Amino acid sequence: MLANPLALIAEITHRCPLHCVYCSNPLELAAASSELKTEDWRCVFAEAAKMGILHLHLTGGEPLARTDLEELIASAHQARLYTNLITSGVGLSRERLARLVQAGLDHIQLSFQDSHPDRADWIAGTKSHAHKVELAGWIREHRIAFTANLVVHRQNLDDLEATLKFLETLRPDRIEIAHTQYYGWALENRAALMPTAAQLEKALAVVAAAEVRLKGSVRIDSVVPDYHAQFPKACMGGWGRRLMLINPAGQALPCHAAGVIPGLVFDNVKERSLQSIWNESAAFQKFRSESWMQEPCRTCERRTEDFGGCRCQAFLLAGDAAATDPVCSLSPRHDSVLRTVCQAPEDIVSPGSPAKSWKYRPNPGRG
Amino acid sequence: MIAETSKPALAVGCRWGGSQEDPMLLFPEGAMKVQGTGLAILELCDGQRTFLDIVEELHRRYFGSDAQRIREDAAKFLEQLHEKRIVDY
Repeated sequence: MLANPLALIAEITHRCPLHCVYCSNPLELAAASSELKTEDWRCVFAEAAKMGILHLHLTGGEPLARTDLEELIASAHQARLYTNLITSGVGLSRERLARLVQAGLDHIQLSFQDSHPDRADWIAGTKSHAHKVELAGWIREHRIAFTANLVVHRQNLDDLEATLKFLETLRPDRIEIAHTQYYGWALENRAALMPTAAQLEKALAVVAAAEVRLKGSVRIDSVVPDYHAQFPKACMGGWGRRLMLINPAGQALPCHAAGVIPGLVFDNVKERSLQSIWNESAAFQKFRSESWMQEPCRTCERRTEDFGGCRCQAFLLAGDAAATDPVCSLSPRHDSVLRTVCQAPEDIVSPGSPAKSWKYRPNPGRG
Repeated sequence: MIAETSKPALAVGCRWGGSQEDPMLLFPEGAMKVQGTGLAILELCDGQRTFLDIVEELHRRYFGSDAQRIREDAAKFLEQLHEKRIVDY
């Protein structure tokens, strides 16, 4: 029997004041005018809780861009969902933070780009670092969980040790080291972001040392980037198995990147119940069983562990969403991925260098 | 190591969820089903009772059990949760 999902990811808006070079939102963003209304989300949260969903991740874009965020958190809290806000913190005042906590926020996940203010602002394409540091202090005034999130890539991995020491000073409960995933905008900038094998090796040692140093005070979660791994990641815990994502317009997706796969039709929560979408929607069914698998996945003993890897990545790198994820060492296309990794230039660019090294995301989600 | 005088409590951002019949411990990015002795221990972790108080209470409840074993098991359980930042003391 199909189990219901454990977590719901709510992309409540695609609007965002940042221009991050590794933005994971789709290339085509939902317009502000198409966003679900407060009441729509309230129904979604109530239904999610009824389905036994425990965690709600409020993300974007920048969720703070929704002026009704307080109400959204309050309705999630009322439904007894554990509510996590994933934010850049840009524009969040001490007063509004207090209101979000008052509304029932359980956990805040604040993103950082680097420990050097100028480099951090350069990666985000927005002056934002100093405010994040101030905000971290305000967060610790409240009894909510605090995760400092750091997206890493070739341009900031050499600073990892210093950045972790900087993040420790903010007294988070948890530090999440997220290697850039190559979808959406990050794929466009892959040549500038792909880490070298030497950087990764050093990073693993730095993280291991930090885990020992911070044992019992800060929990560190870090995942090896899949381009460099032997086997692919069990993306989203398997397609349509653990998670459900609702985009700003109300479409239900198995993951944030699923829109890149041609031919998928995503049902909308305004037209169908969450439960029926989960059980029956064609998009969720598409890669749920094993019938879609090709060789070598079809007979691979790892197929129940990693489900053949990521469907979006298979499409982006192999042009076929049903192919074995090319990052898998068993994939016949694996060589083409390895070539990308090996050919990654080793340049580290610096703030102020010519803009041609990467492309900033322009005006996310306007209109 | 947890000390006799430590006063364990659920860490910031960890709370109970799920249903009455099926309580779940919720924390950032995760949830844990807690039953039996684990549930009994965590319900005593109120930040007021010391670890020694908790062990004594468990010993009273589970009459005839080995006090030393209760202490060791409870310490191990709480230390594991402490490492995951689910319990603080």
